[in-house]
Parts: sequence; C-alpha cells; structure tokens
Amino acid sequence: MGETRVLTSEKQPEVGAALEKALGMTAADVVFEVRESGMKGRGGAGFPVGIKWNLAGAASGADKMVICNADEGEPGTFKDRLLLEKYPHRILEGMAIAGYAIGSARGIIYLRAEYRYLVPSIMKAREELLEKKLLGRSILGGGFDFDIEMRFGAGAYVCGEETSLIESLEGKRGEPRNKPPFPVNSGYLGRPTIVNNVETFVNVPLIILNGSRWYRELGVGDDAGTKLFSVSGDVKHPGVYELPMGSTIGELLEIAGAEDVQGVQVGGASGTTITPDELDRRLSFGDLPPGGSVIVFDSSRDMMAVLNNFMEFFVHESCGQCTPCREGNLRLLDATRSVRSGEITGMEELKEFFVLADIMKIGSKCGLGQTSPNCFVDIMTKFARLSGGKGGI
Amino acid sequence: MSRRPVEIVASAVEEYGSGREAVLQILTRVNGELGYIPEEAMKAVAAAVGVSDAEVYGVVSFYSFLSVKPRGRNIIRICDTVTCGMKGFKDVVAAIEEELGVGVGETTPDGRVSLETTSCLGLCDQAPAMLVNDTPYIRLTPEEARRIVAGLE
Amino acid sequence: MPNISVTINGVTRSVREGITILEACQIAGVDIPTLCYHPDLSLAGNCRMCLVDVEGWRTLAVACVTPVTPNMKIRTHSKKVRHARRTVLKLLLASHNSNCPECERNKNCELQELAEKHNITINEFQTSPKPVSFEEASPGIMRDNSRCIMCTRCVRTCEELQSVAVIKSVGRSHRVKISTFLDRGLNEVPCTQCGQCINRCPTGALFETSEIRQVWEAIEDPEKFVVVQTAPAVRVGISEALGFSTARSTGKMVAAIRGLGVERVLDTDFTADLTIIEEGYELIDRLKRALVDGDETAVLPMTTSCSPGWIKFIEHKYPDLLPNVSSCKSPQQMFGALAKTYLAAKEGVDPANMVCVSIMPCTAKKYEKERPEMRSSGFKDVDYVLTTRELASMIQEAGIDFKELPEEKYDRWMGESTGAAVIFGVTGGVMEAALRTAYEVMTGQEVPFDGLNITPVRGMEGIREAALTFPDKMLNGYEFLAGKTLNVAVAHGLSNAERLMDKVRAGEVDYHFIEIMACTGGCLGGGGQPIPTNPEVRKKRAEAIYDEDAALHFRKSHANPEVQLLYAEFLKEPLGHKSHELLHTTYTPRN
Repeated sequence: MGETRVLTSEKQPEVGAALEKALGMTAADVVFEVRESGMKGRGGAGFPVGIKWNLAGAASGADKMVICNADEGEPGTFKDRLLLEKYPHRILEGMAIAGYAIGSARGIIYLRAEYRYLVPSIMKAREELLEKKLLGRSILGGGFDFDIEMRFGAGAYVCGEETSLIESLEGKRGEPRNKPPFPVNSGYLGRPTIVNNVETFVNVPLIILNGSRWYRELGVGDDAGTKLFSVSGDVKHPGVYELPMGSTIGELLEIAGAEDVQGVQVGGASGTTITPDELDRRLSFGDLPPGGSVIVFDSSRDMMAVLNNFMEFFVHESCGQCTPCREGNLRLLDATRSVRSGEITGMEELKEFFVLADIMKIGSKCGLGQTSPNCFVDIMTKFARLSGGKGGI
Repeated sequence: MSRRPVEIVASAVEEYGSGREAVLQILTRVNGELGYIPEEAMKAVAAAVGVSDAEVYGVVSFYSFLSVKPRGRNIIRICDTVTCGMKGFKDVVAAIEEELGVGVGETTPDGRVSLETTSCLGLCDQAPAMLVNDTPYIRLTPEEARRIVAGLE
Repeated sequence: MPNISVTINGVTRSVREGITILEACQIAGVDIPTLCYHPDLSLAGNCRMCLVDVEGWRTLAVACVTPVTPNMKIRTHSKKVRHARRTVLKLLLASHNSNCPECERNKNCELQELAEKHNITINEFQTSPKPVSFEEASPGIMRDNSRCIMCTRCVRTCEELQSVAVIKSVGRSHRVKISTFLDRGLNEVPCTQCGQCINRCPTGALFETSEIRQVWEAIEDPEKFVVVQTAPAVRVGISEALGFSTARSTGKMVAAIRGLGVERVLDTDFTADLTIIEEGYELIDRLKRALVDGDETAVLPMTTSCSPGWIKFIEHKYPDLLPNVSSCKSPQQMFGALAKTYLAAKEGVDPANMVCVSIMPCTAKKYEKERPEMRSSGFKDVDYVLTTRELASMIQEAGIDFKELPEEKYDRWMGESTGAAVIFGVTGGVMEAALRTAYEVMTGQEVPFDGLNITPVRGMEGIREAALTFPDKMLNGYEFLAGKTLNVAVAHGLSNAERLMDKVRAGEVDYHFIEIMACTGGCLGGGGQPIPTNPEVRKKRAEAIYDEDAALHFRKSHANPEVQLLYAEFLKEPLGHKSHELLHTTYTPRN
C-alpha cells in the first residue's frame, strides 16, 4: 500500500462546493454525516469529531465558537504548516461548515507565533472567500453568517491543549482547565466551543462532498480516512506523506526512505518510541496513536541523547500548574542524566521513576503531563544501554 | 521612529477592545513593535482592561515570545528540538555565537541581535532551522547561518 | 438537585447530585488528603494530592473538582491511589526547602503533616530545593519561595477574597513561582498587608515579619517600660495558637503576657471604646452638617477606619472616596498615642523609655504602626506589633503553662473593657457598638434590641445592611434626627468592600454609616490569627466573642469608667482639641 493523496491531491474540489452542499442540508444532517464518517480528531487525542460537534450543537448557550487549533508544536510535526500554506481555503471552508453544523457564526484560527509567516496566505484566502460570499454575512445569499479571525500564540507548546488554547485566547496564561465543564459546553468566554485541528477541518469539505461512506473506506479496517504524517530524521526524503489511516509504520518508512533504523518516534515526543521489531504496528488510534509526527533514528544515534532532548523539551514546556507534570518531568530528566552519566546503572534504580511515570500518566491535569513520560518509559525499557554515554544525538 | 509604549497600547486597545481576551493581543503588539514589553506598557494594559499589574506580568512571563527585558532589533530563534539537534543545531548555533560574539540568551552590545533557542519550529523536514524575527531559514549550515546573521541590520 | 447513589470504598450511599467527590467523601467520613483545596476559595485542582480511583476511568479522578455522577464507584485507597499520593508528596518535597526546624510553620504545616501521615521517610528523587529567597522589606508579610508548593491558595485569596491581586503565578515550568509585578517587594505594590494569604498558606512560604526578638530585647532591657495592648480578637484566638480548642481566654492571656515580664498589660478594648465615642460623635457631626446645615464638605456615608488593610485598600483603589473615611485612628494607634502621653504621665514614666507593644490578630497593624503620621505622641506611638501567633510562640518559649494559669486582670488606666469593644473583633461589631452608643447618646434610651444584641448587623454574609429608625423624641441638640432612619451597611473581606464601595461611588446606595473590615469574618479571621482559618473556625471564634460581650459588666462604650475618666482628666470632650491632636489622622491617595 502506498500514498493515498486525498487531502493533498493535485485535483482539489472547487472552493465552496462543499459549503454550498452543506447549506443545502440540515445542520443535523451535516453533523450526522461527519459522525458517520468515523473521523477522529487529527490533533492527536483522537476524539470523534462528529460527537464533539453534536455535543456543541446540542449545548445551550449563545455565540457558539468554532476554533481551529493551528498551534502545531509537537516536536517533529509540520503537516499543519503544509496545509496552512497550501490549502487555507479548505481550512476556512471546513470551519464554516462546522459553524453551520453547530450553529455558530464566529470562528477563530489560533496560529502559533512560529508560523506568522503563513498569515498573508491565510488572510488572502479569507478575503477571497469573503468576495465569493463563502464567508461573512448571508453566505451564498442564505441566512447563515460566519466569519473567521486570526489570533496568535506567543510561544507555548501547552497551548495546543484545547483548554490551554482557550485560556490563551482569553488573554490569560495558557494553563489547562479542570474538566468538566468541557469546551463543548463552556469554552471560549464560557460559550459552547469546538476546538478542532487544522487537518480535521481540511477533511470536512471532502466528507461533505464525497460522503461518510467514502471517507470511512479510505482507512484500513476500523480506521477511517487518510492521515498526514510528518516524517523527519534519518530518512532520505523527509516531508509530509498521506496514507490510509491504519497503514503500518513500515509502509510509511519505506516510502520515506528509511534505512538502518534503530528506533522510530511515532506521534511526536509525547508519542511512542518503537524498535525495528515493531515496524508492522499500525498507525491507528487502536495501536500507535499517530498524531502526525514520525521521527526516524538510525543506528548512529544515541537514543539516550534523544530522550534527554525530549525531556528537556517537556521540562521547558510544562505550564507548571500541576505537581506531577511540573516536578515529574524534572525528575525524569534527572534520571535520564543520571543514566547517561553512569550514576544509574541498573533497572532496579529506575523503579521509582517508572512509578512516577505511571502516576504522571494517570494523575496529570492535561495531555502534556499524561503523555510526556511515554518516551522515558519506552526508551529506558527498549533502548537503554545502562552504561552511560554523553555524546550528542 | 518608534511609538511610545502607552501609544502602542492605546492604539491596540482601539483595535482589539478592552476585554480580558484582548490582553495577549495587545501585549503581542507591543512586543512586536518594541521587541519587549516595558513596565509602562504592562501597567497601561492592566489599567485599560481592568486587571492587576501582576496579572499582566503573569501573562507576559508565561509565553516565551514575550519579554519584559529589552532585546535586539532582530531576534534569532534557533530550534533546539530533536530533529534539528540531529541535523547540526550545535554547529550552527556555535557559528552564530561566534559571529555575534554573544551566547544564547544574550543580545549584542550594539542592540542589533538577540539570540535565543526555541522549541520545535515545525520545520523538521528542512532541519536545522531558525526564525529571524518572523522569517524562517532552513537547511542551515554554519556558513549559511553566519552569512544570514552578518546581513542583519 | 436530586440525590444519586455513589459507592465509596464499597459502601453505597445517596448523595446530592452536583457535589464533588471530595464533598461526598467528607459526608461519608472518608478522609482525602488535600493541599490546594481550601473551603474559602475557588477550586484549582493543581496539587493532585486528592487523586482517587473511579471505576472505568483511565486516569485517576481529582476529588476536589470532579462532580459525582450516578452509580460512580470510588476507591480512595488502592495501589494506584497510594502510589499517586506518595509520588505527589515526594515530588513536592524534592523541590521544597525541608529545613523544618527553622520554619515558622514547623508542626503546623500541611505538607509536613501529610508527609508524616504517608510515612515519606526516603525520597528516591534527587532533591533540588528552590533557593531560599526571603523578602524582608515589607513591614507585615514575608515570603520565602523555597517553601512554596505552588498550590496558589495565596493567589486565589488575594484575588477572590480581597480583590487585591498583587500576587500571581509568574513564569512557567518548574521555574514558575508566586510573585508580584516585576518581582517587586510587597511594599512596592498595592498589597494591603492584610495577611490573608498567610492564613491560607499550607506551608511556611508566607509568614509575618516577626518582631519577637525586638520585644524580648525590650522586656530584658531594665531601662524600658514595656506596655502591652491586646486586641479584641486575640483573646479568642490565643488558645488555638497554643494548640487548644477555641475558647475565651482573656484572663489567662493577661496572666501569660504578664508572665513574660512586661511592665503593664493593657487593653486595646479601652481605645476601641474610645473609638466608638470619637467616631460616634464624628458621625453625628457629619449627619448634622449634611442634613441640617447643608454643608457639602460633610461627606456621607462615613466608613470606619480601624482596619489598616481596608485603609490601604481604599487609598489605592478609591482615593476619591477618602473623604468618606472616618478621621479616627484605629484603636491600636489611639492606644499608642495615649500611652506615651496620658499613661506615661499617670505612671510617671518618661515616654522616651516606654515601649508600646501591641498583640494583634493582624499583619497590617505592623504596617500601620510604621505610617509616618503615627507619631503624634512625639515618639513612634506603637513600637512593635506581634500577631496572635507570635504571642503564642513567646508564651511557649517562656515555658508558661497556659492551661494551668490563673485568670488575671488588666492593669489600670487603659485596661478597662466593655462588651462593645470586644465585639470589634467580629464583622459587624464596630457597627453594633457604635449604634449602642450613638442611639443612647441622642435619645437617652438603649437601642431597641433585645439584650442590646443588634442581630441584623451580625452574621457572616459578605455584605449586610440594616436600618434603625429614631424615635420622635430626641435629646436636646439631636432633634434633627427625630423620626429619621439611619441606613447602615457592613462588609468584610475586601472583595465585598469593593462591591459595596463601587455602589457608593456610583451613588446607588443611600447609607449613612458603613463598617468595613479587610478580613473575612472581621479581625477574628485576621492575617495574624492562628492557622487554619475556615468558616467553621470563624464561626467558633465569633461565638466566643459574643459570649464574652454578653458576660461583661459593661456592654456600652460610653459606660467604660476609664474612658469617662480619660475625658474628664485629659481629653475634655469628644472631637476636642486633644482628640484631634492624638486620636485623629489623615489619609494618603496612592493610585
């Protein structure tokens, strides 16, 4: 199986066709179609998109919000950058369809500060859609109003977490909220809010045009749709690839040209680290949650140095609000350094750190602290040669 | 000719409003125009929005792109995350440090350039990468990086 | 809300829908350890100490913020929960300055208590305590971030209860800290020094600026004549600070202070009574000038001025409303000014050698005594202020067996107290005391409330209002109030004060007199009182205060014989020349 270019196909549907079709349906039917498609959120957490929309649509409260999470910050992930560069119209169109589906007139794109250079093309796309009456007041002459504004992050990985993102949009420190309430009931400024990833919105027009069944069948087995993967590291052809959801990691690596593989980081720093023995595992919410990032390490790499880099990243990016994440990442970094310096030489000495990792996974406030220990556990158990090593990656 | 901090805040308030949700936008505007957010700007934001000075400072201190200390006219943010680390970050940053004569976290004495490291820039397919102000530079070599840095006004 | 069924540790019970797991466990008598939770504050869910197991959940549930749902099965001790609690504690201890013997909160620290309870003796994590960072410049409050566990209770206190919001989370990651605007000292930002943050800190990251050493040195100096005054709320707090339950312990407290070796033990209640006279006459004067003379400089409503946290708050936030504040000094400062003039003369002591020490339930009093205008005796009117907690610490250091002490009386001249003065310690008390006196002064009759208990101004509601209508027959000179109604309001906690003063500023309310106390519950919940504070503790202290009022021979300020003597011998008349010189003050806009 190779690439299945749908989102990134040369042939793109005409801008506005999906929105026009959606406006001819009832809002409930739009939600139903998305729900039936089986699409799960493309940001990484994999919450079913249709269910989220359904909840927001049913929530009581005025001024519902559609938020596009363009705060792509997971190490090794750059597929949303590509989408924002190449398909801004379809992102906006997807947001407008979402707005129609949940009964919202207002969308916000929360773009990470690092991607400011993408603003002109996004704003140009918005202008074009406004001209074509695909955005703004009385879209396509009907009764639906929807417009989109751009807002910016300011350098904080945690703001990719949806409640942190909302806090940031409200002008605050990007610290995750307690849930419940969930954003679908009380999000931005207390309004019912959906937050979806860039890639999710890009899929929406295609689902509306081609139908939920078409979309479902794009995937392998239980998985629906295709998925974009950012592939980097030790591969011949780093870049963004589009494969059916449920493809194996081996298939992806073959296309990207990976050789002499020692390890692969799937789903970014917060994902899973696998060995060459695991290349038949599937990029699927049921197996290896794909996120969007695949980083390949060949045999020349020091995996402990890789882990060190990841843990430094998490220590730096933890919001600092809850104990397990704020203090826990620091201690996992300590342990990593101790292994590298030879102070820790046996698994027994790491026992308490594995307990810590478990508690972080089930006790941290948000996805950051719940997933940051993954790489520690994976690399320590699968790759650690507990004899030290202080070189670079 | 740069505007005074309170003027920037005033015009940003005009554009974004004085709601709580405007705070980060206003601060980002000031930061973008002056390279940092001076005390008087934070106080002006607090007064305009009706929150405490400490609240505004708490927000500024959370985001790594915002600064309360003056920085150079140009800000280099070089990615230190894993893929760039694999593809030569160390050599590139060493070259830039040598070219500028300052280390990471510092500003050249002439106020021309501040050098910072940053988390993943989403340019891993073209690593190593850096942002100079808002512009990305990719597939850097030490020589290329020196050339870019030397050309900054 | 209907009831739902939940199972806690295998026992199924019916609880109200909408309550949290923590509340359900409290009802069930199941102990859940907490740190960031505080009953006075919003829910943070940060510390992760209260994690519990819920059947079917991938993650543990945060008991303090998670609502119960029908048929939820909760386990509060399981392997996961035990590991979680131990891990959270070890993580906190790894970056905590655990030099407990040197900490103000040793033996009264929630972190220490939980660490003991969970038997944390070995910490496998590398310890890297945050650097010690004493802030000493602020007169009332000190901070040491090395002891901070980032529970943010202080931040929520400052913002939610006090509307002051001068402390915030600053920075990110493990470098996050509680700090002020640009990391300045508390004396350089609009902190009111109320100390409510101290009372809610689970560890010793916040504590009062101590003056114990200075007071010992004064006591030990044979040249010095040490005069102690004790504020109303201290007498119902001191027993708690010494490890006993809440109790009225005025007599034992007097004996204990005397046992420290001071020259005189006197009562701030005496000047509380005096405040009522001065403030009462000031109110009557303002009413007359405003209502009869049409004098626009007579500003109404008049607010009380005894709470120094409130004074600093209004100076920062409502400088335009400063003319509304009574010009009366607080009882502490009236005491200091009189001690070094009136009392010094009576005792034949050189005021230069007199050391005036206050025992206060308050940290803002430490700030108040440093105000430059508080030197009307020609000396610093009050030299040192100790909190209730500091007094307890000195009593313990001196080896005094508080429980076995006989009750003793205050010394004379400035030691007599009335019930009206005692209730200064509880929200609404100043109002009640003022009404007891003002009504009687103007009508010749006692206030028309059973047992002098003016219940409408009592209670713990954040803002309370009451109206008192004067009879048609008034005493000579007060006929202008005949049949008129006096509208009063009471607020405690500065957020409530803010709400009330916003209405005053907007002209939405028609009050004549307002009592404001900076701290929730009034002085009994002050920043210098024993820790912890919570609604239950404050209720007990309030009951003790009202019991003390009811038990005293004199219940009305104007009945205080020593106050009467003071006017006869020294002040001559309320609002007179001497009063203005010693007992009244001015305020400073600080916006």
